[in-house]
Amino acid sequence: MKSTPYNLVMSALYKGKKGERPPAANPTSIVCQELMDLTGISFPHAHTNANAMAELALAGHEIIGFDSVMPEYSVHQEAAALGCELDWGSRDRMPDSRNFPYEDFSDIKVPDDLLEKPSMRVVLDALSILRRHVGGKAAVIGKVMGPWTLAYHMAGTQNFLLQVGLGENEMITRMLRQLMPVTMAFARAQFAAGADIVVLADHATGNLVGAYHYQELLLPIHKEMTAQIEGPLILHVCGNCMDRLELFADAGFDGYHFEWQVDSRTAVEKVGHRLALVGNINNSQVLFQGTPEDVRKQVRYAVEAGVDMIAPECAVPLSTPLENLKAIVDAVREGY
Amino acid sequence: MSEIIEQIKSIVVAGKHKEIEKIVKAGLDANIDPGAIINDGLIAAMDIVGKKFGSGEIYVPEMLVAAATMKKGLEIIKPLLTGDASQPKGTILMGTVKGDLHDIGKNLVIMMLEGAGFKVVDLGVDLSVDKVVEKVREIKPDLLGLSALLTTTMPEMQKVIVMIREQGLRDSVKIMVGGAPVDSRFAEKIGADGYGKDAADAVQLAKKLIGIN
Repeated sequence: MKSTPYNLVMSALYKGKKGERPPAANPTSIVCQELMDLTGISFPHAHTNANAMAELALAGHEIIGFDSVMPEYSVHQEAAALGCELDWGSRDRMPDSRNFPYEDFSDIKVPDDLLEKPSMRVVLDALSILRRHVGGKAAVIGKVMGPWTLAYHMAGTQNFLLQVGLGENEMITRMLRQLMPVTMAFARAQFAAGADIVVLADHATGNLVGAYHYQELLLPIHKEMTAQIEGPLILHVCGNCMDRLELFADAGFDGYHFEWQVDSRTAVEKVGHRLALVGNINNSQVLFQGTPEDVRKQVRYAVEAGVDMIAPECAVPLSTPLENLKAIVDAVREGY
Repeated sequence: MSEIIEQIKSIVVAGKHKEIEKIVKAGLDANIDPGAIINDGLIAAMDIVGKKFGSGEIYVPEMLVAAATMKKGLEIIKPLLTGDASQPKGTILMGTVKGDLHDIGKNLVIMMLEGAGFKVVDLGVDLSVDKVVEKVREIKPDLLGLSALLTTTMPEMQKVIVMIREQGLRDSVKIMVGGAPVDSRFAEKIGADGYGKDAADAVQLAKKLIGIN
């Protein structure tokens, strides 16, 4: 196998042949202020303009040296299309929504032209642009929010979790099932637009909800979605998910993108034979506050543990030093 | 008598919010001291809830329901308190720093602090440095709690502390910090008085900083 960025990522995803080195991938955003300044492309423009979005993603490959390109930096593209009022933020601040349109858990109205809403179209167009530029060279990664995350945006996180606590399972399930088609339609459209892999982010986060909540309320939905979306999916769930790794594998995902709180050796031992593991360089202590040498140590630990693709654990803080992101690339280039 | 208090405790721990009103009223009808219902029933229950959360036995959904149950009970009793029992143990100002709209962690800490008998003033989210300093000057709290969920907003905590010092207010208020990306090393670095790793820990820290058992 040729050790090209594309081949390394795809082979690692399917746990195939190992090339000369592990790939450095970015299932979530690696945009930092220094990268915006270097390229002259900044947030919030890069959230709403397809060319800017694609060019900034390309910089992650060409300037930092990652083996994949991923153009969706916010977690609010679908929320905006479903009626949330968005504050798209600035160079120094990620977007956030200002309201919760379905606080009352009333029926979600998914617009007929969902995929043509500007916040959705922009991602699809950016993926197509990336495909044309680096298709077959670097892996093109798309990203969608799962129904659990979308429910946070629709009803408000605290409100949604309170209803989970109150045991309003029927209401919760109804909302999740009404949001499921949004996730599926966007994922399929991203593959059609040119994505090689789609990340499905669904924040049944370790420190927020228990494995039992995931198993009861979300696992059945994840199983249905992985069965019905043909292309390869990487699940992203933050927090310490040590207690639910097997459930993620049961759900039928091809890969799992995980945080530093989950020890890579244990993760590989538990589910490394069932799905590809992607991660898990610590954002807060290491990429943001640490040195390139701290980064290198964590990368080498993860590589030696058998993590298939090395990546920051989640979207990096905007003030992350660029040299720390480059340190990930340098450390994977040391090989296995 | 203690049987009713035990029942109140287990109802809060289990988050049986529909049953709390009846049992608290039964306690009052049986002439149980309102202070005892609060301390040995409601607050003791939240201690258990906090520990269960810390150990990963329960999660945010259950904690929210338990806190709502406690609050319901508290509202029935509060008007009946007199003398020392009606006095808050201290005043705490709480808020999420500039650029950060996350408030579940902060809200959980507030519920636990209120349960523990503190008066809490919630400043909300996305707070500018000036706003926090202005409120510290105005309300004169014993303790200021700052929250951040995002790594990107952590530096704002330091700005608040620096400004409080510059304004000569630092000696009159203790400061605690918390939130997912924060740790004790960071708290020490920015000059905070302490770091709480979760809501239960924050209550213990608040008690320590204010100087009560």
